[in-house]
Amino acid sequence: MPKDPSIKKVLLIGSGPIIIGQAAEFDYAGAQACRSLREEGIEVVLINSNPATIMTDVEMADRVYIEPLSVEFVERIVAKERPDGIVATLGGQTGLNLATQVAEAGILERYNTRLLGTPLRAIRQAEDREEFRTLMREIGEPVPESWIITDESQLGDAIASGIWPLIVRPAYTLGGTGGGIARNVDELLTITRSGLALSMRHQVMVERYLSGWKEVEYEVMRDANDTAITVCNMENFDPMGVHTGDSIVIAPSQTLSDKEYQMLRTASLKIIRSLGIEGGCNVQLSLDPHSFAYYVIEVNPRVSRSSALASKATGYPIARVSAKIAIGLHLDEIENAVTRKTLACFEPALDYCVLKIPRWPFDKFVGADRRITTQMKATGEVMAIDRAFEPALMKAIRSLEVGIYGLANKTGHTLSDMELEEAIRVPHDERLWSITEGFRRGMMVEEINALSNVDPWFLRKLEGLVNLETRLKVNAPAFKQMSKALESEEEEAQEPLEERFGSAVRLLREAKRMGFADRTVSEFAGMSEGKLRKLRKHLGIVPVYKMVDTCAAEFEALTPYYYSCYDTEDE
Amino acid sequence: MSDKGKVIVIGSGPIRIGQGIEFDYSCVHCVWTLRELGYEAIIINNNPETVSTDFDTSDRLFFEPLTVEDVMNIIDREEPEGVIVQFGGQTAINLAKPLHEAGVRIFGSSYDSIDLAEDRDRFDNVLRALNVAKPQGRAVTNEKDALIVAEEISYPVLVRPSYVLGGRAMELVYSRADLERYMTYVVDVSPKAPILIDKYIIGKEVEVDVISDGVDCLLPGIMEHIERAGVHSGDSMAVYPPQTLSQDVIDQIVRVATSLALRLEVRGLMNIQFVVDHETNTAMVLEVNPRASRTVPYLSKVTGIPMVKVATRAMMGVSLKEQGYTSGLHPNQGSIAVKAPVFSFLKLTQVDIGLGPEMKSTGEIMGVDTKYPLALYKAMLASGIDVPTGGNLIATIADPDKAEAVPIIRGFQEMGFHIYATAGTASYLTQRGIPVTTVHKLHEANENITSLIRSGKISLLINTLSTDKRIEREAIQIRRASVEAGVPCLTSLDTAKALLLSLATRKKGANFALATIDEYMEGRVMA
Repeated sequence: MPKDPSIKKVLLIGSGPIIIGQAAEFDYAGAQACRSLREEGIEVVLINSNPATIMTDVEMADRVYIEPLSVEFVERIVAKERPDGIVATLGGQTGLNLATQVAEAGILERYNTRLLGTPLRAIRQAEDREEFRTLMREIGEPVPESWIITDESQLGDAIASGIWPLIVRPAYTLGGTGGGIARNVDELLTITRSGLALSMRHQVMVERYLSGWKEVEYEVMRDANDTAITVCNMENFDPMGVHTGDSIVIAPSQTLSDKEYQMLRTASLKIIRSLGIEGGCNVQLSLDPHSFAYYVIEVNPRVSRSSALASKATGYPIARVSAKIAIGLHLDEIENAVTRKTLACFEPALDYCVLKIPRWPFDKFVGADRRITTQMKATGEVMAIDRAFEPALMKAIRSLEVGIYGLANKTGHTLSDMELEEAIRVPHDERLWSITEGFRRGMMVEEINALSNVDPWFLRKLEGLVNLETRLKVNAPAFKQMSKALESEEEEAQEPLEERFGSAVRLLREAKRMGFADRTVSEFAGMSEGKLRKLRKHLGIVPVYKMVDTCAAEFEALTPYYYSCYDTEDE
Repeated sequence: MSDKGKVIVIGSGPIRIGQGIEFDYSCVHCVWTLRELGYEAIIINNNPETVSTDFDTSDRLFFEPLTVEDVMNIIDREEPEGVIVQFGGQTAINLAKPLHEAGVRIFGSSYDSIDLAEDRDRFDNVLRALNVAKPQGRAVTNEKDALIVAEEISYPVLVRPSYVLGGRAMELVYSRADLERYMTYVVDVSPKAPILIDKYIIGKEVEVDVISDGVDCLLPGIMEHIERAGVHSGDSMAVYPPQTLSQDVIDQIVRVATSLALRLEVRGLMNIQFVVDHETNTAMVLEVNPRASRTVPYLSKVTGIPMVKVATRAMMGVSLKEQGYTSGLHPNQGSIAVKAPVFSFLKLTQVDIGLGPEMKSTGEIMGVDTKYPLALYKAMLASGIDVPTGGNLIATIADPDKAEAVPIIRGFQEMGFHIYATAGTASYLTQRGIPVTTVHKLHEANENITSLIRSGKISLLINTLSTDKRIEREAIQIRRASVEAGVPCLTSLDTAKALLLSLATRKKGANFALATIDEYMEGRVMA
């Protein structure tokens, strides 16, 4: 169906200030939505209290209100502007909560306007645990045993079930605020109390904690015509128990079999259809690493941090397409803005690996609790792209700007073996480097898996990187010799370095292909980074740049972006 | 392909405390301006959450780490005319030196200008030569010298490691014992890692951004901080235009900012922070950042000057005159904007929420209206300090603040708040005629201040920071209780005073304006 002709003017609700759990992704989504709607000839009115955003620039929307995100101010704007509809699914949890309050206050009827995109009923069904569980049971999708609690006196059944540990999740909060894992009755009471206090609905869910299970997310889109697609799936490096905003995330999933991938994809599409979501949605699932058992954990019926990552990982502009769906367009009527040849109903294909690492504020808050749990603590994140997992990981590490450029952090080597085991077992911001230190000390994949529950596939990759690091430490002095030979040779050409130092050249090439930084390699070699760079360039070990084009180069991309890799062909 | 060639804009990397979305905002505007000027604009960044990494923001996007190696690899391939490092925060400015040394052209202020502003000794010489006032202080390399310098300039002093940015490990130190503790436990001091010790000046903090083309210096606006010096500028509320500065102080600020921008040969943006000594009314320079600051988007919106656009054009050779601007302070258009910080303390257990020289906020909001108290109220509301105009308030005030707190607490009481206070504060307030209910301290009883905070009956906690570590240990727990119970907690009397002013306006039934940002900017909103 073409765009709904009754919609001429819309109010877009922004997400307000940057807080943990709600960062720049909503400026990205909101800015994209403004352009997407105006492109269709729609007048856009915007409200957001955060001036440090592109979306609040006067060029972005027709009317920009930098006013408090409260029911009072939204009502006044609606009364003054009389929009035909309100788009609330692009302003994060803040926007969605505010839209819910506005609807409950009767403002929509009073001014004859409506929520566009995903209907309020679907939002409630996705966000209210009990309604969500009922729906999942109806469509035959498994959900973990759980109990909705509105008062701590209702915990009797959960305690009697004998299921431990249990996870407590408050309803209607940002980034899982106030939740936690309870291993006994005392912990259950404490966490439930704080969760109830923090929930906007004074409601928490107590649920079987799937310790050691994999966490997998699917980004899916659906239009009013019931066409639904998968934009991409993503896999958490950290198993269940770590908030996905605090986990290293890889796209596409690396450790799932095709059967598992298809099973979870089918479930995600079934869920978005059953909810009747019109736009983008994020489905979180948990998969048993030892069987095909899975559970549906949660659905975000809106554009989210995960969808920003999925958009950047694939080149598929989820917010832009969601905004078009909100005004009635169907996926097969929306152009893919990257290729301008394909349509938005075309699922992206990835011929590379994307990796995200969260950025935590513990450099500022030295005394803070650095353990990472179900309550998000990261303020931001970095993403890296490469042909394989290893170089993507290495690039992401040096993007963090935490003074770590490779596989060793500052404190790993100072821990006793017992302390190190604890640091591998309990998730914290530097666990990745605790694991690499474990390999450095000769621990086996099985041991580290038993402690951390991180999938053996990831661990084997890390082990491989540590082995390569060891070979570099031993052989890197040859790089210094090569560099000296290069300096003395510049006058008279002798036998090429490649022939005299064949194995060293191959090792350097391998190190670069695996993502090791010049800085790290030159330290091992005892030479300056500049000299290593000169040598590397002389040897022709330079990166080529590949395109992210949404379609694995099947169609020509018009607005591409690039990532480096030490491969042969430049795109 | 563009005929003017390529320019690379260095992004700001992941969002962290001290380097937030503001820098992505500036990078995006820089890229857009370059494209308008006919350059092929290339951005390098690794943050997937942002507009700068959207596929159609730049002509080319490289999703790469922002290290010298990765940036130089792209420069080798793209062979740009030059690189812009002024907008990507400290991440980008830190690349100025290695890129300059590798022979890459830096557009805007040169590497030498940047170094002149960032190197403490060189910068001190500049200030002396220009006869610009700054708080007394010196860099020291051992504890003994630290104690001597502190005695010389007298306590309290502001201490911090040299070359550490964003206020990390910065502290206000009130006594010799405290300084010994700081030098022993907080920092590693050595000849290679000097510690800066500056006299702490009590007074108003003021911030300006300057745009210069080397000839003219435009000051889009001056922002006055609401909290006195000692609270990190990123954690302070701030108001544009200034509400309490005399014309003489404003003139001093314009003069100093202009002469510094010219002496440092700034091309593009620079940010200067001042403290106005309340005794002498002298504007003293606290800090200079030779780059776009966190206040750029906020000031751009309220002054109507697209600061990044103007600065980028100036960097690329379009003079301010050609752009229609002249030197000096741009006149205010009639609206008042208050910026307020927003914190994420709920997520960060074991973090003390008291405000000080280290930045703790994760974001900010803005309240705009035609009168200061109205803008203030909107800013308070939008930042989550949603306090009713009556209810119960708890006050625990440190001894040195007690006298100053009396009229503020009385104001709340007269407005209709019932006051609770711990013993010391309670007897002080009662003696001055304010009815107070005494509440037990943590160690005094089970029914105590934190259980009262958790009871749900309290709408506000005012808790000023003590220099007594024993008192502070308990105060930290009290403040955490307020975070967990969702009770707004103010640790500065300046914020409390501002809140009182805004609530009084609310109570009188003020008419808050509702207008688009351009209506405010153009002065089209009637008071």
